[in-house]
Amino acid sequence: MTICSTAFVTLGRAQASALGRPDLPIAVIAHPFGLRTREEVRGIAEQCVDDIARLVAGNKP
Amino acid sequence: MNESAPNSARFEAPDDLEAINRLYRERRWSDGLPVVPPTVERVERMLRHARRPREEVVARVAPGFGAATVERIAINAVLAGCDPEALPVLIAATEAVVEPQFNLQGIQATTNPVAVWIIVNGPAAQKLGVNATFNCLGQGAWANATIGRALRLVLQNIGGALPGEMDRATQGQPGKFTFCCAENEAASPWEPLHVERGYGSGASTVTVVGAEGTMNMNTHTKDAGELLRAFAETMMHPPSNDYCHGGEPWLALGPEHAEILSRAGLSKAEVKRRLWEGSKMPARRMTGKDLLRVQDSRGAELGKIGPDTLLPVSHRPEDIHLIVAGGPGTHSTYIPSFGNTQAVTREITE
Repeated sequence: MTICSTAFVTLGRAQASALGRPDLPIAVIAHPFGLRTREEVRGIAEQCVDDIARLVAGNKP
Repeated sequence: MNESAPNSARFEAPDDLEAINRLYRERRWSDGLPVVPPTVERVERMLRHARRPREEVVARVAPGFGAATVERIAINAVLAGCDPEALPVLIAATEAVVEPQFNLQGIQATTNPVAVWIIVNGPAAQKLGVNATFNCLGQGAWANATIGRALRLVLQNIGGALPGEMDRATQGQPGKFTFCCAENEAASPWEPLHVERGYGSGASTVTVVGAEGTMNMNTHTKDAGELLRAFAETMMHPPSNDYCHGGEPWLALGPEHAEILSRAGLSKAEVKRRLWEGSKMPARRMTGKDLLRVQDSRGAELGKIGPDTLLPVSHRPEDIHLIVAGGPGTHSTYIPSFGNTQAVTREITE
């Protein structure tokens, strides 16, 4: 699996298909990060950690 | 690459330039400008200048990893309006951009405006009419315009880097339409780029550079020290990928500026060393957030980075690159790089 921000999902899906893995699980995180503080980024990470763990374990979203 | 791919599909199209351009526009097979229809006859004429079989895969082009066969490169060269004799340059350029150190994946998919600048050296430049003198980075020379455009079409149509899809450039830059010149070897007081990079003076080469853009440096000074100071101060540019990652910035020196440096007894290596020293930038000029990025990227190289740290633009002086280009005048051009990229030179062998 991989992790992608919303701005890069198109790229991620297209590239996964190009590399023969169209079903690659992608955990999607809201973009952008650039305007967020480190604490806010930490909060986003905590919100999506369960999704990431599930995808790493091989379960689809 | 020891790989082959099927020949390209053939489309029946009306014998009507406007209809064909509508088709290319709808399918996003163009760069936004009208194309030359790649008829079987035109592609065959182009392919006469390749030694390899049409189906041979020259490279897999990121980020889509499409197979750049000799034929597909030829088709894009026709689309761009290239003379058939230019095909070997494009084949060499395609081989060059996929070298790992060039980081084509990053260059194609980044939000950065990076374009691929092609520099042609050796006899091929003159034979193909690649302009190295007046306005060599501007319009007017068929070879410069079409070779640079053809590589862009290879990157887009074979590599799959369509703007807004896999090409994620926030704004891009005009050099993404075309960016190609030759070195003005006749006006250079130093060895040309390809000789510096290990090729014989009689060889023809193509060098690809991940270039962020062009910044003109107009100075009338005749003093080598002042000239180097003006260049070094132009290089100091806080929101810069070169300073952030340790890059490979380029200078295209006008012949008059090159002569001033040479008359002062400076070798190319010494010019690079002095530019590297002179362009060290106090880290405090960067924003706090960017300083954190520099710390992440260059901490192993530079240690703890504080506001008083002097950041070199590149890891080593020799990572600053120089060519001599252009005609008479007091102008040189600074060309910062994408940062995470190294230029690649390939001999034109077809």
